[in-house]
Amino acid sequence: MSDSFSTTRPIGSHRFAAVLMVVMFLANTARAWAGETGVPQAESGMLEAVFFYVFAAGALFSGLMICAGKNVIRMAVWLFFVLGSVAMLYFLLGANFLAVIQFIVYAGGILILLIFGVMLTNRSPWVRLDIKPREVAIAAAVGLVLMVTLVGMITVTDWPEEMAVADGLTVAEIGRGLLTTYLVPFEVVSVLLLVVMIGAAYLARQES
Amino acid sequence: MSQVTVETRPDVLIDTDREDQADLCTEEMLINMGPQHPATHGVLRVVLHTDGEMVLGAYPQIGYLHRCAEKIGENLQPFQYVPYTDRMDYVGAINNNQAFALAIEKLAGIEVPPRAQALRVMFAEFNRIASHLVSVGCYGLDMGAFTPFLYCFREREMILDMFEATCGGRLTYSYIVPGGVTHDLPEGFIERAWEFLDFLGPKIDDYNNLLSYNHIFVKRTSKVGVVSAETALAYGLTGTCLRASGVCWDLRKAAPYDGYEKYEFDVPIGEPDGGAAGVRGVVVGDCWNRYYVRLLEMIQSARIIRQVLETLPEGDIVAKKTKNIKLPANAEVYVEAEVTRGQLGFYVQGDGSAIPSRVKARGPSFSNVSVVEEVAKNHLIGDMPAIIGSIDMVMGEVDR
Amino acid sequence: MTQMSVPWKPGEPVEYRGVKALIVGLSKVVYAIGRPILSRLAFPIFVCSVFGIALLVFATTLLFGFVDDRLIETATNGPELGLAGGELTVAEIAAGLEAAGVWWTGLLKYLFWPVQYAIVRDIIISLGIFCFALVTPAFAIWWERKSAGRIQSRPGPMRVGNWHGWAQPPADGIKLLQKEDLVPADADGPLFRIAPYLVYIPVMAAFATLPFGSYWVFRNLDVGLLLILAMLGIEVIGVVVAGWASHSKWAIYGAMREACHMVSYEIPMGMALLIPVMCVGSLSLVDIGGAQDGGWHTWLVFRNPFTFGAALIYFIASLASCKRAPFDLPEGESELVAGFLTEYSGFRWALFFFAEYTAMFVVAGLMVVLFLGGWHSPLPASWGAQLGDGVIGRAIKGLIFSGPALFIIKGYLMIFVQIWIRWTLPRIRIDQVLYACVQVMLPVVMVLLLCNTVWELFFPPDSIVAIVFNVIMALIGAVVVVSFLVVMARGFINRRREVGYLAVDLMPGG
Repeated sequence: MSDSFSTTRPIGSHRFAAVLMVVMFLANTARAWAGETGVPQAESGMLEAVFFYVFAAGALFSGLMICAGKNVIRMAVWLFFVLGSVAMLYFLLGANFLAVIQFIVYAGGILILLIFGVMLTNRSPWVRLDIKPREVAIAAAVGLVLMVTLVGMITVTDWPEEMAVADGLTVAEIGRGLLTTYLVPFEVVSVLLLVVMIGAAYLARQES
Repeated sequence: MSQVTVETRPDVLIDTDREDQADLCTEEMLINMGPQHPATHGVLRVVLHTDGEMVLGAYPQIGYLHRCAEKIGENLQPFQYVPYTDRMDYVGAINNNQAFALAIEKLAGIEVPPRAQALRVMFAEFNRIASHLVSVGCYGLDMGAFTPFLYCFREREMILDMFEATCGGRLTYSYIVPGGVTHDLPEGFIERAWEFLDFLGPKIDDYNNLLSYNHIFVKRTSKVGVVSAETALAYGLTGTCLRASGVCWDLRKAAPYDGYEKYEFDVPIGEPDGGAAGVRGVVVGDCWNRYYVRLLEMIQSARIIRQVLETLPEGDIVAKKTKNIKLPANAEVYVEAEVTRGQLGFYVQGDGSAIPSRVKARGPSFSNVSVVEEVAKNHLIGDMPAIIGSIDMVMGEVDR
Repeated sequence: MTQMSVPWKPGEPVEYRGVKALIVGLSKVVYAIGRPILSRLAFPIFVCSVFGIALLVFATTLLFGFVDDRLIETATNGPELGLAGGELTVAEIAAGLEAAGVWWTGLLKYLFWPVQYAIVRDIIISLGIFCFALVTPAFAIWWERKSAGRIQSRPGPMRVGNWHGWAQPPADGIKLLQKEDLVPADADGPLFRIAPYLVYIPVMAAFATLPFGSYWVFRNLDVGLLLILAMLGIEVIGVVVAGWASHSKWAIYGAMREACHMVSYEIPMGMALLIPVMCVGSLSLVDIGGAQDGGWHTWLVFRNPFTFGAALIYFIASLASCKRAPFDLPEGESELVAGFLTEYSGFRWALFFFAEYTAMFVVAGLMVVLFLGGWHSPLPASWGAQLGDGVIGRAIKGLIFSGPALFIIKGYLMIFVQIWIRWTLPRIRIDQVLYACVQVMLPVVMVLLLCNTVWELFFPPDSIVAIVFNVIMALIGAVVVVSFLVVMARGFINRRREVGYLAVDLMPGG
């Protein structure tokens, strides 16, 4: 899915890209029928922009629905849409590996475990979440702080003119990087995961 | 049989408002397995008390197929009542006819001609094979193996063809009546019977390969639903369920009727590690043994039929006077016969007229199903079809 | 829930007006003409359509042949692209058509001008994949029913379509479409409605990187294998949501089983797939398939004993991934009524089944690409390369040496093995699934991975030990296949003794 979206193109300059695309398509059609053989190539960047807006809006909306939801499983499904939309954004950036790993680890693995945990451990599988006003206030405060930080960082950072886009062939580089340059952090993270696993096993033993 | 309904049992009432539980508490659930459930073989309802996949208790609830079969017996002549016995255990109908016929014959003192006796034995054993084929096949189906089910029904079809040629019925035959049997053998029956017996032998090996010795099947059924010999006797289990628990008790050997003493056969019982089969992990009284004893009984039934076919006497097929028999007054009789699922007993009381004043049946499935509550504790939900299926009850006979 | 809103009395003629009248009239005419033809000439029409499809496949091969040539050139320059990649101009299309031997290029280059847009090619090819993914379940369902019938000594569907019930799946589909779309009163409506799509869409998305041939792939991603794994993984969410939203206890059990099933089979499955990846050195399915073009002894399943073990373990895990027997616990009908499908009916139920049978082809295709030589036949592809690029040469190459047809045939053969296992084995209990996956398959596949690493390190493919093992494994494989055919033939010849007189006397087609 990467190659048609992987040309360098600044995001955000095409507001009505879909309409434009249709118009240009029709124009090209007319020119082709008029006998011009050298038809210019289609602008694939517009399509990319359309998809970007679609998935960005999807991620945002689904995220809001998680916050607004009261039903745990519905929230998990919205979370699935958030994760999926973000993975599609990774695809748009040409970071195929990251996108696929997002699907496997977050959407396929962690979300399933989350739903599984909710089903197994709650008092009723058809549970509804009642949020107390105090919790809403705390969450809002944390969220506000986080948002201020993010907005601050985004405005302060000096963004490059052209968006950095990977060429789609990221697996080899990631593999090489993990086993050469970043070997020590990689191993440390794996040890951390091992510790977490042992800890979880220990906690689970305590119950029985 | 637990006659106490679940709602009134304080130990299974679930407090849904427990707030003091830890986060990782699991919820216990009541779930109805049946009366409309593919694995409960008819209309048995088992209330499962579960914790996740774990079954903490199983309470069989019966009575969905009650048809007043015993009360009807007090309004009909014995001859007219025979079709009702068909509808009790409709999988092994001829054996039911036989049990009732034995009771009436004993009460009225009717002598059965030798050819009729031999035919009775042969048809009862054929029906035993057919019934066990259904049982074995359905047990495979309960375990998720669909194909042996249709194989078994293919073989049963051959028996049903023979029955149909003889008496016209394919499920409810009313073949054995007080005093004898209704029809003599049709032309070509003997050849068909021999062909079937030759055909059945290799098929038993097929079932062994597909089910009995199949690793998954053994893992699903061995050490599951173990009924010890003491439990089996305490709950009044009979038939294959009792013999699978290691108790060698078969009425055809212990109290022979209709000339069973003339024929040689063995009584297979449950053995650890499957006896000669050598299946590791199997214990006496588990589901695998209950299943396997039926398979072995089919071989023994085939053996009996071979002997009957070789020594079939000529003569009458029914006693001289069988209709409008006066049942003696103030006489009562209780006769049991070894039907396919265990001992079916008929208690009949006469009052001097042709119509008995009391008919009462003791169904083997009724006793057998009561043990579910005892053995199903602390099994998984996936084991429930294994246990219920291995009991092999027919609800028509449990509820009557 | 619903009653018939419009009371319709039988016998009373219904009046149509306007467009409706036109449609109804037309359909009556079509029915009047088509019905006698169809009912009398069903078999010839079926045969003609088979030949028509074959011709269509051949024409498509021709049409895309020049795309192949074009892509072989671009592949050396840039990143490898799939069928839809690359940039084409009208002039290039014309040149390609001329090279393929088509003479009316002057007209065709205007007919084909939209093809120059990548998006147009994408849409055409996705439609093609969609059609294939729709036909696959229909065929697989028919085949499953026929195979099951033959395994169980009965004929299977025989009525619909006059020829061995070939029209049974469409008939089933129409029946299911007509059924009422029931949503239980207590169910979580939106989730209940959306769940079938959450199952079906990922399965369809898995086709994006499944290669049918070296250039017959929608997108040749360098993470193609991982994408398919990811799509098979997120399919589970739909099942869990379906079970939860049904608000039925049996459905909840099905959903819980599916979730706990998935966390156990997915790890051995992923690790088993690492072994061919390690042998070839790429995550791209096109690379892995292309590496097995030297005849059947170069198929990865015969490369060394560890790849063979990996193929077995992947196959077992793939059964679990499609919820096929003996791992059909989430819908196990004798335990959980129908599991997560208990409350579903009509079209949504059909979607679940479409997803299951499509996923069967996806996992079978993955098995074929990774272990069984992909789109190559048992003969070395280099022999086919000598045939040249003429029309006949292309056709022979595509049918005998390497091409999508071989991939599809192999995929359906793997589906047959899945069907065969389903109708033979009993179902495993849930704790045994977890035990088998986590405590047996996972350690075994770890050992296999380690041994394969060592093997590849010390015995590279051209070393004498590797060649000896390769030949031995390949011979064993050939013997197994041949003896399977022999046993099948023996069973067919002795079917009266095996099945009894019922098989020959009473059964049509027995």
